[in-house]
Amino acid sequence: MKLLMIDTSSQSAGCAIVEDGKLLGENYTNVNLTHSQTILPMVAMLLEQTHVKQEEIGLFGVTVGPGSFTGLRIGMAAVKGMAHALGKKCVPVSTLEALAWNMCGYDCLVAPVLDARCSQVYTALFAWQGMQLQRLEEDRACSITELGQRLKNVKNPVFLVGDGAQLCYNILKEEIPGLRLPSPAQIYTRAASAALAAERAAAAAVDPAQLEPSYLRLPQAQRELLARQKMKMV
Amino acid sequence: MIHWTSHSVAETEKIAEGFAASLSAGDVIACRGGMGMGKTAFARGLARGLGLRDDVSSPTFALVHEYTDGRIPLYHFDMYRINNFEGLYSTGFFDYLEQGGVLLIEWSENIEGALPEGTITLEICRGADENTREIRIEGGRF
Repeated sequence: MKLLMIDTSSQSAGCAIVEDGKLLGENYTNVNLTHSQTILPMVAMLLEQTHVKQEEIGLFGVTVGPGSFTGLRIGMAAVKGMAHALGKKCVPVSTLEALAWNMCGYDCLVAPVLDARCSQVYTALFAWQGMQLQRLEEDRACSITELGQRLKNVKNPVFLVGDGAQLCYNILKEEIPGLRLPSPAQIYTRAASAALAAERAAAAAVDPAQLEPSYLRLPQAQRELLARQKMKMV
Repeated sequence: MIHWTSHSVAETEKIAEGFAASLSAGDVIACRGGMGMGKTAFARGLARGLGLRDDVSSPTFALVHEYTDGRIPLYHFDMYRINNFEGLYSTGFFDYLEQGGVLLIEWSENIEGALPEGTITLEICRGADENTREIRIEGGRF
C-alpha cells in the first residue's frame, strides 16, 4: 500500500511516498518559505514525478508535533483535507520520532531537538539497535541546560537531529564530548523518514477528523519570564 | 539613538515612512507607549515606507495583522492580551520571526523575555502639548 507523508512541523517542509518499505519519491525544502504556500504544490509535483494517482494513496501520514505552531496546523489541515476527500485514514507520527528515523540503520542513541525558542527545546531520547527503534524518553519540553544535564549521564555517543541540533551542539559540545551531529542530509525532519515511521505504526491510523496536533507545554519558569512587569531576561 | 519630535498624526506617519528606509527583512521593532500616542499612525507610515499598499489598522482584536502587498511584509502585533508563553506561541510569533518580514510589536513589555537579540525599541511619548510626540528609536543597530 502506498503511504503519502507530509511534514511541515518545523523549519523544513517535505512530502514523500513510500510503499512497503520502499521510498518512491520525496520532496524537501528548507528555505524559510511559508509552508502553507509550498506544501501542496510539492505534493502535486511528487505525485506527478512518481506517476502515482491520488486514488492510489491508501494511507496518509503527518507529523503531529511537537513543533512550530503554524507549521503543525498547516500539515494537519492539508492531510485532513486530502484524506477526508479520498476517504482514507491517517497515521499521526511524533515529529521527534520521525527525526529519530533519520538515523535508522545506525546503532546509536538519538536525541531529537526542536528549537522552541528562548533557550528551550522539544526533545526525547531514542536508541537504535539492529533496525529496532526503542523510545527511552517521552516527548517533552525543557531548557537546553536541562537537556545538557540529562545527556551527560547517557552513554556516548548521542546524535542530535532536528532544527535545534546545531544550536544545542554548539552550546553543549564541551560539556558533553560524546555529542555528534549527523550529515546535513539527516539533520532536519525528512518526510521519507517520517513515512517509514508511519508505515511501521500503520495500525494506529485514525479517521482524519480524529487527528490532533500535539503541542507540548513549555516549562513554567519560562512562562513566568514573560509575565507583565518582569523585564529582565535570566 | 534617533530622536524626532512630531507635531501631528500626519507628521508621525511621515517620520515612520522615512525611517522604514533603514529597515530590512527580519527586523523586530518593540513599541512602548500608551494609548493615543500614535502607534497605529507610526505603523501606517512604516507600511507605506516598506512599499506596502495594504490598509493598516490596530491589531488589538486579531492579535496580529499581516501586511504583505508590497516590497517587505510587515507583521503588526498587539501583545496586550498575551501574558504567558503558550499564548505567545499560539499567535505564531516564533514562526513570523522566520518569515522574512519586519515585525512591529505593540505592548512588547508583555513578551520582553522572548524578544530576539538585536530588537529595535520604539518609544513614543507625549511632548510639550497634546499634539506633540517625542519619538525615540534605540537598541539593535540604532
